[in-house]
Amino acid sequence: MRIKAASLQHWIVPIAVLAAWEIFGRAGMLPRYLSFPSAILAALWEITLTGELFTALAASLYRVSIGFVLGTAAGIVVGLGAGMLPGVRHFFDPLVSFLYSIPKVAFLPVFLLLFGLGHASKIAIIAFSGFFPVFIAARHAVLSVDRLLIWTARNMGTPGRTVFLRVVVPAAAPQLFAGVRIGLAHAFVVLFAAELIGSKAGLGTIISYGEEWVRFDLMFAGIVCFAVLGFVSDRILLAVRARVLKGQMLGTEERVTG
Amino acid sequence: MIAQTRELIARWYSIPLLIALWQLAVSSGLVESRLLPGPGRVWDALVTEVGNGVLVYHAGVTLSRALAGFLLAALLGVPFAMAMARSRLVRNLFEPIFFFGYPMPKIALFPVFTYIFGIGTPSKIAFTFLECLYPIVVTCYFGFRAVATRLIWSAENFGAGRATVLRRVIVPAAMPSIFAGLRIALPVAIIVVVITEMIGDSIGLGYYITIWSTRFTFANVYAAIIVIGICGLALDQALLLLRRRAIYWQGA
Repeated sequence: MRIKAASLQHWIVPIAVLAAWEIFGRAGMLPRYLSFPSAILAALWEITLTGELFTALAASLYRVSIGFVLGTAAGIVVGLGAGMLPGVRHFFDPLVSFLYSIPKVAFLPVFLLLFGLGHASKIAIIAFSGFFPVFIAARHAVLSVDRLLIWTARNMGTPGRTVFLRVVVPAAAPQLFAGVRIGLAHAFVVLFAAELIGSKAGLGTIISYGEEWVRFDLMFAGIVCFAVLGFVSDRILLAVRARVLKGQMLGTEERVTG
Repeated sequence: MIAQTRELIARWYSIPLLIALWQLAVSSGLVESRLLPGPGRVWDALVTEVGNGVLVYHAGVTLSRALAGFLLAALLGVPFAMAMARSRLVRNLFEPIFFFGYPMPKIALFPVFTYIFGIGTPSKIAFTFLECLYPIVVTCYFGFRAVATRLIWSAENFGAGRATVLRRVIVPAAMPSIFAGLRIALPVAIIVVVITEMIGDSIGLGYYITIWSTRFTFANVYAAIIVIGICGLALDQALLLLRRRAIYWQGA
């Protein structure tokens, strides 16, 4: 009974907010720029029928997935390298500690000039900004692997490559995934900024068209799509992690966030 | 002494090396110097723009917005996280908002914020507040949840009242998580303010970057990027200093 009460309470605030939004919106008591839920759904349906939604979604998805994969791959490779080899670590540490605190979007104008207004500039800036959190997580993860594990493996005559693949990487994986998850969040922030500042396609454009044409329902439809896309990507990442790290997440509080 | 110098070189050589490579690439004409002006020109731009106060002014605007949003989120977020951790009702009511909202890219809501609060400082502060609130609440919530019950029991057993337990046991035990949350949120604050200033404003470092890149004066753009980096480093160091004072029992 207690569980039931808890799950009921879970729904109170979201439903109350949506209901109040709908009621006050319909009554015209909200400012026009706060289009109400049913109008937003209607706008979503409208751009689904015209196909605009799919073109925009495809463009955004293409950019964010390629950029995210490139940045994550580079971050994992270089980060693991920095964790394993002091030479690599000493080369990247000062650079990353300086660049990390800079919003990578600040480089957007440079990327736009280098790669143009199309997909390439967005992919590049998403990869660039996704690299850093993954790099830092991978580097720290390798360094915090229990030395005893490595020594034990070494002691039994395990070759270096096997130690790396069978001991270091699995032990570093949970922390690595935390970095990848931050990288994914960064990817969406950068995607949005890049699409709003200089772009002709993607979900960001639906939002800015909505603003230009004073179609606030359309603007919110774009926002909803963007939020759902980000949320679903995060869930997919968590599902992948649950599979990869089967058994390693026991006893952590991840269940609630994940 | 020599070993120390060696250590120093091994640790920091990459920055001078990259600056040298940068200079080489520019002077050899490998990259277009309009897009990537040499380090000398960026340095000149930095000195000029800091000297005449323009960059200092914009950095002040950006920093004060970022700090305002961040502090607001910290002041409201930490007590709220505690309430969520200690009270079942508050937890059940607000958990979905924080745990489902956490992975959503909130940046998409920024246009709505500009309608509600205008495009100036208030919308930036309000939005920074929202973006900082999530990492602070979620991280602190886990910190408060993880406070060992036996610590609370022992304190109660010694006759400590609710307020004493809160002040002397729960808050100190959760302090490392509180600082972890703050340390995640602080760079987020700067990032968010710069991005929103790039999207639309007439002051701040984000605006400065946009305006000078449309004028193709990239030396100034890089100078502003360097200023952002320095601000970020300085804020992070300040927070670490505060953390060492607040959690003196934990050492480094």
